[in-house]
Amino acid sequence: MSRLQYSRPESLAEALDHLDRHGRRTKILAGGTDLVVDLRNGAAEPEFILDVSRLNELKGIDVTPEGVSVGAGVTLAEIESSDALERHAPALRKCSFTFASRQIRNVATIGGNVAHCSPCGDTVPPLVIHEARAELASKRGRREVPVEDIASGPYACALPPEELILRFILKPAPGVTFADFQKIGRRRELAIARINAAAMARQEPDGRVSFFRFSLGSCTPTPHRMPEVESCLSGRVPTAKLIWDAGKLLADRTIAITGRRPSIIYKEFAIQGLLVRMLHPLVTS
Amino acid sequence: MDASSVGIRFTLNGRSRSAVFPADTTALKLIRDALKLKGTKEGCGVGECGACTVIVDGKAVNSCLMLAAQLDGRTVQTIEGLGRPEALHPIQEAFVKEHAVQCGFCTPGLLMSTKALLDENPAPTRAEISKAIAGNLCRCTGYHHIFASIEDAAQNRRERP
Amino acid sequence: MTSPHKAIGKSIERVGAREKVTGQARYSADIELDAPLVLKALRSGRPHAEILAIQTDNALRIKGVVAVFTAKDIPGKNLTGIIIKDQPILMGDKVRSIADPVALVAAETETAAEAALKAIEVAYRDLPAVFDPEKAMAEDAPKVHARGNVMVNRTIRRGDAEAAFTRCRSVIEKTYRTTFIEHNYLEPDAGAGFVDSDGTLVIYASTQNPHYDHKDVVTVLGVADEKVRIIQAATGGGFGSKLDLNVQGFIGLALYHLKRPVRYVYTREEAYLATAKRHPLIMRMKTGADENGRLLAMQATIICDTGAYASYGPAVANRAPVHATGPYAIESVDIQSFGVYTNNPFCGAMRGFGTPQIAFAHESQIDLHAQELGLDPLAVRMLNAHRVGSTTATGQVLSASVGIGDCLAAIQPHYDKARATWAAAPAGPYKKRGIGIGAMWYGIGNTGVQNPSTARVEMDLDGSVTLFTGCADIGQGSSTVLAQIAAEILGLAPQAVRLVTADTKFTANAGATSASRQTYISGNAVKQAAEQLAEVLKTEAVNKLRVAKSALMFDAGCAAVAGQPDTRVSFSELAKRIKSKGASLSWQGYFDPETVPLDPQTGQGVPYATYAFAAQLALVSVDVLTGEVAVESVVAAHDVGKAIHPENVIGQICGGVAMGLGFALMEEFEPGKTLSMKDYHIPTCADMPEVVPIIVESPEPSGPFGAKGVGEPALIPTAPAILNAIADALGVRLYALPANLERVLAASMAAGHFKPVP
Repeated sequence: MSRLQYSRPESLAEALDHLDRHGRRTKILAGGTDLVVDLRNGAAEPEFILDVSRLNELKGIDVTPEGVSVGAGVTLAEIESSDALERHAPALRKCSFTFASRQIRNVATIGGNVAHCSPCGDTVPPLVIHEARAELASKRGRREVPVEDIASGPYACALPPEELILRFILKPAPGVTFADFQKIGRRRELAIARINAAAMARQEPDGRVSFFRFSLGSCTPTPHRMPEVESCLSGRVPTAKLIWDAGKLLADRTIAITGRRPSIIYKEFAIQGLLVRMLHPLVTS
Repeated sequence: MDASSVGIRFTLNGRSRSAVFPADTTALKLIRDALKLKGTKEGCGVGECGACTVIVDGKAVNSCLMLAAQLDGRTVQTIEGLGRPEALHPIQEAFVKEHAVQCGFCTPGLLMSTKALLDENPAPTRAEISKAIAGNLCRCTGYHHIFASIEDAAQNRRERP
Repeated sequence: MTSPHKAIGKSIERVGAREKVTGQARYSADIELDAPLVLKALRSGRPHAEILAIQTDNALRIKGVVAVFTAKDIPGKNLTGIIIKDQPILMGDKVRSIADPVALVAAETETAAEAALKAIEVAYRDLPAVFDPEKAMAEDAPKVHARGNVMVNRTIRRGDAEAAFTRCRSVIEKTYRTTFIEHNYLEPDAGAGFVDSDGTLVIYASTQNPHYDHKDVVTVLGVADEKVRIIQAATGGGFGSKLDLNVQGFIGLALYHLKRPVRYVYTREEAYLATAKRHPLIMRMKTGADENGRLLAMQATIICDTGAYASYGPAVANRAPVHATGPYAIESVDIQSFGVYTNNPFCGAMRGFGTPQIAFAHESQIDLHAQELGLDPLAVRMLNAHRVGSTTATGQVLSASVGIGDCLAAIQPHYDKARATWAAAPAGPYKKRGIGIGAMWYGIGNTGVQNPSTARVEMDLDGSVTLFTGCADIGQGSSTVLAQIAAEILGLAPQAVRLVTADTKFTANAGATSASRQTYISGNAVKQAAEQLAEVLKTEAVNKLRVAKSALMFDAGCAAVAGQPDTRVSFSELAKRIKSKGASLSWQGYFDPETVPLDPQTGQGVPYATYAFAAQLALVSVDVLTGEVAVESVVAAHDVGKAIHPENVIGQICGGVAMGLGFALMEEFEPGKTLSMKDYHIPTCADMPEVVPIIVESPEPSGPFGAKGVGEPALIPTAPAILNAIADALGVRLYALPANLERVLAASMAAGHFKPVP
């Protein structure tokens, strides 16, 4: 570790050039709140640290015709105070309220959280329900991938080392009347999610749900949409029984992916419970 | 700038400083070991307790989770920049007056989180205070007097111009 | 109503607060030393093994490594321990837990020290290991220590429990379990040292008992007492874990051999691995009550997993059975308690010494009786509560200061209101509200053994007063309280009392900062010292002022005639006169509580001279779908005898509620798996309920100004109250702590709450 080199490129081109040459031996520093822990405990032993935290190309929350663009270098604190996200992606904004701690939110980035590929990453379920794509840059050019494809397994990033996440593009969801993010942790703050989830829906005046997106986190090795659960509610008027059954379906689909691990004794029911709790406002309204 | 040794310039407690250090040096290590400012504490080393909290460009951060290199060009405030025993900052006075100090190890980090909060939000609700200090763990006080201190400090701040 | 006291009962500014808020307080990691060497211990990583050989050559070849010590380098006796001396500071022949240190490295940098640890080669022969205390009690279990795995055994027997059960309408037998808990003080253990110009080994320590540290360090080094000086550095919490010799022995050893400054600061990970934990207890409790709810009998078996070394294990294994009845008069008891060695990392003192665990059991039992008999749980507690004249399970008659009834009465209106309005109000879909009570008693000081304190008060010729006390303030505020006591006797402002604390060169042994004993025991020693000085001052003042001694009072550094404030003589003048007559201006006080050792067969005796009492009420809301528990409010009524510093007492109560909440809901330490603070959860400010602290004062005649103690009592009732509230909310009870997400959801499902709302 004493031969570790630090580099702060002044431009995106410089950063991409470095990654092209040294990507395999480089760890990217956006906020550092995961990286520094990994350096301390030896989980990461890179030769280079590439500090991209000041690159303007990674900053900014912008509402564009193709959707809401959130720079990979946007901090959780910036997400917390974003009016644009409150209007266009409230579930993403909500996940920032209980993300780690204020100190970490001031520094940690959405790009870092996604690229860390923790199954418990709080920003992931909100990105998934917005069908978010990550714009990636390398010396060879740009491309986009769905957020679900970034992790190949727990803490395993599928992206080639010469690529850098520039931003996330969240698909607009017009007319959404309900959006939420919730998490279950062992304490109220500064807690890693045992289970987290994001949901958004459009509920018509007659109570019918005409649009519903849901994503569960912390329960599968990589992020998943659950189309069967989403279609459970679409076009229906939610009753307590309906969302109860949707929760059961969600739990069953999750177990189908993970198998019956020890934690499933709790999660099998808490997954159902969380969905029921989250969607209950749709029943009463 | 490719180097296993990093050089930075930054403002620390109101004064311009420069420092050179190995690339893997954390901000906490720089502050405590190189700059010999011992008020900032290491409680856990992994960003889970807040004892290492300092203010960087007006924001409370865990210095144990920052590389010192990230301080380049920034304005940094540590507890030593807040007040002195003979001239306490009003927030420090409130903590003393409202009995919020027991073993004192969490105190510097808490004070910095409080300063960052009140600079940005002079009239925080209890919920807003809670959000600001939830990352500062205390094992002694149960937070009761800490809330009272912060509310007292906010109150006094509003009453003084 | 005006108080008769000037300093007592006043919430003055805490001694040391200014240094702490400005970051100037010097903890062991902060103390400036001249190029100190870094010390690090190599720990075994194996639960039970013989050491065949230790090879240090490769480590010594690393640049920057100055020395590597092993057991053979210990000049004195390589055995330490606060009660039973069974713990080497470096293992020579075998290791008994994964935390056992086998070598100590001294190096110029941390990097070199880390590299040296990796380069030391140890050859082990693994031995069968035992991790379950019940299995460890079996004849054929692997022996952790040669003398056998049952370290200590206590019986408390009174009356005829078997016969009494036959007269009971309600007989309930349950098994309760708790697990390892980590103290998680914010300051990881640390120490530093240097060799003074006269050859003294000076050791700064983050410690709760500098005088004990001194004793064991001189024994380990085989040197004279004067050769070692222990100074308590600013200490960032302890809660019982900084009573053991953590780094002090290592620092002493390095200073002895290397004669240059050294420092050892544990990382949090090392503090988790290598320091004491709270004992897991298995408590089989059978109690019986008559149709009115009066408890008639208790039979209990308590098994304490003490891990690889004794530490404060004997204290825990003794205190738990003594307190097993709770603050209730139960005529017939038959209680067995065992402290058992296993190959888990050692358990030791942690705030309460077994009483937080046993209170979970006795408070659950009394609620179960109330439920079975259709009685109100608060009323049943009132019925059974000790009063003046009660006899305890050890045959002690409580003659004064029995405030449990007052504490229960104090929570009554809150309880009634909560039942009438809060519990009845709808909690929202999928949430259930519950109300729970927890009550406790706690004997002040060490159980049935002598634990005296000494203090000295000295006046200079300019009339200024210095208080010398070996009492270690670890954040609980003892320095402030002791200054208040001395100030009250001498008519001074507490800020005018100069303090010299916890430095073995200057202070005498005040005993450990533990067992909630310092206000009561050191407080009495200080009071006695101050009273002796006061007597000498008054005697001389009579000579000067020509009035009866009884007409004199002290005020602002003078002796004056009561009612004639201008007729006075300064302390300075008195001091000079006293000195010229050859009398002393330095007076020592000494106090040891009046106890009678417990009979080895029956446990009968007087284990403590006084008890603190408390009752807490918890209001919780349980999410029946996810198992999350929100504690909305805790009302905490504590009989402290006399609150010498009321805000200090409130601070202890609130801190205790926080620790009790963690114990109840979210703290569980798994040796070998809980590695850093990412893995262990103590409450954040957002987890805290509204706390309503109520100070109850039932004066203790033998206490300084009537005071007893509160440090440990503060947390003991909290987990029982919360667990009773969860049972009230769900209708199903938990018998193991913590009431974590998994257990609470399972209980919710067992109770049939996991279903869609209609």
